[in-house]
Amino acid sequence: MAHHPTRRTRQAAANDLAHVVPKHHVLVRLSHWVNVPLLLGLIASGLSIYWAAPVLLHPPDPVTGSRDYLRDLGLAIARALHDAGGDQRFWLYDHLSLGARQLAVALRLHWVLAYLFMVNGALYLLGLAAGGGWRALVPRASDILDAFRMIRFYLGVVPMAILRRPWPHPPVHSKYNALQRAAYFAMPVLGTLVVLSGWAMHKPVQLGWLERMFVNYNGARIVHLGCMLGLGGFIVPHVVLVIADGWDTFRSMIVGWSARVRQASHE
Amino acid sequence: MSKHRAPRAPRRGWLAERPEGAIAVPRRRLAAQSRRDFLFFAVGTLAAAAGTWWLLPDRTKARLLPKTHDRLDTLAARVGLSRENRERALDRALSFDDDVAEALYSKDRRVRTYSRSEVTPLRNNYDGRTPGPEYLASWSLGLSGLASGSDQRLSIDQLLRRFALHGQVTRLVCVEGWSAVAWWGGIRFADVLAAFPPAPSARWAALRSSVNLDGAGRPDPYYVSIDLETARHPQTLLATHLAGRPLTLAHGAPLRLLAPMKLGLKNIKAVTDIAYTVDEPADYWNERGYSRYDGL
Repeated sequence: MAHHPTRRTRQAAANDLAHVVPKHHVLVRLSHWVNVPLLLGLIASGLSIYWAAPVLLHPPDPVTGSRDYLRDLGLAIARALHDAGGDQRFWLYDHLSLGARQLAVALRLHWVLAYLFMVNGALYLLGLAAGGGWRALVPRASDILDAFRMIRFYLGVVPMAILRRPWPHPPVHSKYNALQRAAYFAMPVLGTLVVLSGWAMHKPVQLGWLERMFVNYNGARIVHLGCMLGLGGFIVPHVVLVIADGWDTFRSMIVGWSARVRQASHE
Repeated sequence: MSKHRAPRAPRRGWLAERPEGAIAVPRRRLAAQSRRDFLFFAVGTLAAAAGTWWLLPDRTKARLLPKTHDRLDTLAARVGLSRENRERALDRALSFDDDVAEALYSKDRRVRTYSRSEVTPLRNNYDGRTPGPEYLASWSLGLSGLASGSDQRLSIDQLLRRFALHGQVTRLVCVEGWSAVAWWGGIRFADVLAAFPPAPSARWAALRSSVNLDGAGRPDPYYVSIDLETARHPQTLLATHLAGRPLTLAHGAPLRLLAPMKLGLKNIKAVTDIAYTVDEPADYWNERGYSRYDGL
């Protein structure tokens, strides 16, 4: 009665040790996921604000009367898709932002999300510092050559798979390969820049020194837009590559550890 | 356990990346932690989805889900994510941002000035139709809420004779995002305040343009609130000139507010009345969902 063989085996199995590699600090994981809705909301509300007065303008188009490149792009997409629903001129704004003519509500949303974004960004930096993860993000001299090796590898993946030829991944002696490092290093940099240029536009008088850092008011607007394109453009390859890399990589951003032990410990 | 630990790499300074070593964790603890983390992730995803839906503007929701948005709204309202609560939360965020702006504000800080060669085209951004010119002939500036207890009406000639004209080249920033550097001339609001002091308890100025029109040309009075500290700022003008010439109708002839430390929507054109008040007066665009502080 005291001795229960199946229970003991189960107990032993549960006390078994699993070998895992710690990957991401809990604050890094938390801020990573919180960032997803924040960034999407900031892009959507930001584009609605941009709609009111685009900064990148060309002389008025004689046919459409448009001066806004984003409006032209939206119109071209709507025509290519034969999308007749809604106002074709505002296709891009209707699909990527809260919509046209939503300035007041977009501004209020943008401020809420921007404050949360700053708090979240601080949590991320705190997590990088506490977990030592920042060291893997520091660019190094070997990155330049390694980046070209990675580009060559990515370009060859599909053709070599078709040709059924072996196509080994270039050796990586770090948590990240050179392209990943460049992208992951760029994120906090762009995040900082987008916040600074945002403040320069929001308070150009009280923070005049900040406005001057971006030359003038429109300089800050253009940098802000550029940062948005960088942060938003990162999402697509990031998601594609995580899917390609597999479940372990995705899971590691939720649980913090990777089960790919051999690879890691053998460098 | 130790055989899985990566060999310690030689240190190459504090910047160098530490090699990733494996650790041994009891399977049960690992499973429990992972379960907890996934649960947390799922709850967070649901909360984010609900929060996103809650915060989306009504028109955006109607466009995204024309058939089901009403039902989702009813569902959200049942757990407290109602329209009223959303408006309250967004209003609170707006006042928080205003508090931050006020904390950043210094009355001694000057607005950046430019040289006349840096002037850029200034557009007429009247939201409705541009008023005038019929009001010009009978125009005068009314002052009320004065310490003297009696109201004043001043013609443009009286104002220009009595007060010194000051010029400044500053940037006007619109809430829409565009901005323009312009050469302004006008009398200092501070001088008018000194000559006709407001009642001692007054903290605010309510500026009004009773000649303002809506898009169809019907009367649509425009009004803004300005705190007296901002009104007394040396760069706050009651502007009468643009680019060295008297103001045109498009820019608020014969007199407009120029407070370059505030968004353009506070820079009311064709001012007809100024009333000094104890409490913060109504503000046209604040009633339409914008901030009422609007400090740059």
